[in-house]
Amino acid sequence: MALVVVAVLLRPWLTGLLRERAFANWSTIFVAIAVQAMPFLVLGVAVSASIAAFVPPGAIARMLPKKPALAVPVACGVGAALPGCECGSVPIAARLIGSGVTPAAALAFLLSAPAINPIVLVSTAVAFPGHPAMVLGRLLASALASIVMGLLWIALGRDDLLTLRRPPVQHAEGERRFAVFVAAAQQDFLQAGGFLVIGAAAAATLQTAVPRSLVDSLATPGPISLVVMGLLAVLIAICSEADAFVAAGLKQFSLTARLAFLVVGPMVDVKLITLQAGTFGPRFAWRFSAATFVVAVASAGLIGWWLL
Amino acid sequence: MVAAVTREVRSTTVLLVGAMLVKLSISGAYARYVRAGMGLWLLVAGILLAGVGLVGVWQALAGHGHDDHHHGHRHNDRIGWLLLAPVLALLLVTPPSLGSFGVSRSTGVTVTSGGKVFTDLRPGGTAAMTLLEFDERAADHDGASFKSVPVKLTGFVSKTRDGAGFQIARFQIACCAADAVAYAVRVTGTAGSPPPRDQWVTVTGTFHPSADGLPELRATGLDEIPAPRDPYE
Repeated sequence: MALVVVAVLLRPWLTGLLRERAFANWSTIFVAIAVQAMPFLVLGVAVSASIAAFVPPGAIARMLPKKPALAVPVACGVGAALPGCECGSVPIAARLIGSGVTPAAALAFLLSAPAINPIVLVSTAVAFPGHPAMVLGRLLASALASIVMGLLWIALGRDDLLTLRRPPVQHAEGERRFAVFVAAAQQDFLQAGGFLVIGAAAAATLQTAVPRSLVDSLATPGPISLVVMGLLAVLIAICSEADAFVAAGLKQFSLTARLAFLVVGPMVDVKLITLQAGTFGPRFAWRFSAATFVVAVASAGLIGWWLL
Repeated sequence: MVAAVTREVRSTTVLLVGAMLVKLSISGAYARYVRAGMGLWLLVAGILLAGVGLVGVWQALAGHGHDDHHHGHRHNDRIGWLLLAPVLALLLVTPPSLGSFGVSRSTGVTVTSGGKVFTDLRPGGTAAMTLLEFDERAADHDGASFKSVPVKLTGFVSKTRDGAGFQIARFQIACCAADAVAYAVRVTGTAGSPPPRDQWVTVTGTFHPSADGLPELRATGLDEIPAPRDPYE
């Protein structure tokens, strides 16, 4: 009730603010990122809540190879087949870990599901009509990065970093299963959605505040431009289905630098960092994102040097 | 008792987000923020969310449900309140489609014809085209395909004074407004003062090569129009 009163009082002030072009631009981008993520988030939450409610614990873990080093590439392949998006795959990965899948495999899935899937590859082919190697490069570099990250977690990862910030779901039979599904769906949606809103606000702020000329001035040849394009992908946080069109337009950068943009974007960006911090804990999110960034830029550089 | 209240609040939040998505997709206002083809998906997502929210509210009111394991984890759910921010923004002010502020900041694009060679425009009549096609044709053999055929362009005024004339622009989006890319055309030859910034216009005229790379339209007619339903190309 108090919320409604505050809202009504704020309205004239907000309407006045919208006459400021910069604020109108910010609010449009903020709402746009939140709205476009919703269908993908709902799909991801439907899958994650189904895992919680209808799949017996341990069932998915039994379908994967026993050895974690083999489970990682299999999980990466499963991620590539699912038309996911970065926001939706975070709750799914969390539920996978919750149901007993080895974290290394769940993390490989988390990275590969948004980065390589049929929709993303087709949109890349459409955006780069003269460069079919770009599609292959994206596929290989993203697969390489997600498998390396999974193996890196086996070698260096500590499971105590991964604090799953959601209660384990109690398994139930029959009618109770539906109640579990509804509870899990609400929980996953609200948590992922809340962090998505923070990420959308951060991305909208950066897009409104960072002048274009700053980005152009950094388009230097050599490895620096790979890092610059990787950072740009982190900051502007656009959906993996659309980033190829933006990359295609950034013609002042080399093809390899633009490949780095395409490989980093679906794996690390401001909205993903906040989402992961909320789901797995901030200590995990910072380290994992930093490591993923380095691995993604390196594999884009390697594949780009070989193919492009 | 506290858990039951939390559960109601959570369900209501999910219901509100779902209802907002349904409203956006049915009213068509969603086209200001995302690609026009996404309406159906927003509708489906909205109906699913509203359904899950309604079931939750009903369970909480009926006093049964699944709230036993939420104790001690409620602090994590607070983040969900933030979802009300875009809902309130849409209810209270409905942000406009992207306007002139973003033109110079959107991902800058050097238009090339993309390797295509355009067929010549057919003489007689006026050819309506997107700003993107106009810019691409202008880049393709210095606009040879225009053959002095008049064209009609729709966009918003992005700079009211720009050398000899003013600029109109329009955004292209692939997924949502965050990935928007602007295409601009200079309009010259209009009499009187240019229309105000962010005013939507249709301009008819003929292509004219320009020195600075920004394609130019010599206008013969200019009409101010209301913002189109799908403001993006």
